[in-house]
Amino acid sequence: MIGVGRLIVQRQDYENAIERSYQREMAARVQLAEGTNPARARATIRREEANRAHLRDSISGDTRDTVILVGAGLIAGLLGALLLFVGLVTAMRRPLEALVAAAGRLAGGDRSARVEVGGVSEVATLGKAFNEMAAELELEASERDRLDRMKDEFVLTASHELRSPLTSVQGFAELLMMDRDSLTPRQVETVEIILDNCRHLVRLLNDLLDLARSDAGRLSIRPQPTRLGPLMEDVVRTMRAQTEASHQSLNERIDPDLPLVNVEADRIRQILLNLITNAHEYSPEGASIQLGARVADNAVVISVTDNGPGIPAAQLEHIFERFVRGDAGLTQRVGGTGLGLAISKSLVELHGGTISVVSEVGRGSTFTVVLPIAGPAAVEATPPGPPAISEAGRR
Amino acid sequence: MTTVLIADDSETILLLMRTRLELAGYEVETAADGQEVVDRIDPGSDQSPDLLLLDAMMPRKSGIDALRELRAAGVKTPALIVSAHQTPDDADAPADLEISGYLTKPIDFDALLAAIAELTAKKAA
Repeated sequence: MIGVGRLIVQRQDYENAIERSYQREMAARVQLAEGTNPARARATIRREEANRAHLRDSISGDTRDTVILVGAGLIAGLLGALLLFVGLVTAMRRPLEALVAAAGRLAGGDRSARVEVGGVSEVATLGKAFNEMAAELELEASERDRLDRMKDEFVLTASHELRSPLTSVQGFAELLMMDRDSLTPRQVETVEIILDNCRHLVRLLNDLLDLARSDAGRLSIRPQPTRLGPLMEDVVRTMRAQTEASHQSLNERIDPDLPLVNVEADRIRQILLNLITNAHEYSPEGASIQLGARVADNAVVISVTDNGPGIPAAQLEHIFERFVRGDAGLTQRVGGTGLGLAISKSLVELHGGTISVVSEVGRGSTFTVVLPIAGPAAVEATPPGPPAISEAGRR
Repeated sequence: MTTVLIADDSETILLLMRTRLELAGYEVETAADGQEVVDRIDPGSDQSPDLLLLDAMMPRKSGIDALRELRAAGVKTPALIVSAHQTPDDADAPADLEISGYLTKPIDFDALLAAIAELTAKKAA
């Protein structure tokens, strides 16, 4: 700025000096033209020419010097600003990078992620705030873990505690039944009622346990390559006695070319029994139920269709939720727990599949289960455990 | 005479199982927890029971821990575990303990008796 100002003044002086020089030369030329003292006049003219040449050189030099000065000044200023900027960024960058990295670790589940507080004051404040937040999260997470473990322990203990007396009630009722020849018909009926309710309690207990485990993320399956055809035929055979008692028809349309599907057989059986039992219980006498299975894309599509009363749209929305049951007025013998579909949904999803329903009031319903042939994703081949000694477990 | 050793912490359950097994023609010994099971079995002798029927969860020592000790001592007696879960995970029925099968309560006695028959016939043959 100063340099430019000085240059302006210098140029002004130069202009003035040039003008005065021209004036003197003019005067000399007039003298020459008039003839007075021509020698002196010529000398003046020559002197002024030289003078102006000198002035021009001078101002050129000055201009050049000033430009260089200003240029250098600008560059120096720019460099200075650049250095300042880089310095600032560097000072901030490391703590910021550390913060980003720590945030990443925290988000990934490492609750011990913290940063060293340092750097420019705002960044330091940020670092402190981050550490406080991470400490809070760690506390909350371990509290949550503690509660989860408590819940799991409770479910396991409750399940065990409830099963033992249930075993006794059912077991001794069965012993009574072994002596039915020495019982009166009324006594036999009494024992049958006791046994029926035992079975209902067992179903309820199993369903609750399944749901609790599903909630805890601890419901697991051991998928094996399975032939669905024989499994489904077996389920139909099991259900036939009940459907025939209600004069309902139960048919199957199973694609003979079903591939081996990676599933846990007992759980698929459980799902199918749930769906067919629902169709049976919520459809009137004489209704027809159909079980179908076919291949589509990399999956097997299983459907259970009935021509029963159908499900109203309002109920349809919530039908896979817990403790939602159909209109009891239409059922013959509702033995369900309201949990069957909720569990079926959890089980289907554990297998990597989907379950859905379409229904029209007055026409009937179709429940569809899609199971990927490859089974659930990211499942390592688990060797089958020891076999189940039970009605369902017998192969 | 085929002998079955039953272990359960509930006396009522022991009575129930003893009654059913004796009715089916087996001789029954009982234990109230895992430690009694281990004490009862002498690895060297041939007086041992032909089959073990163990509750997984018992105080003092569980059926699984008792079985682990017995297997480590070289006892080969077939064992059935009564588990608390519908489908046991590795904690209930570890694959490396040579467990022949698992049951859940309430016990399906028809299936149990069929399994015992199969397991002890194999041993006799």
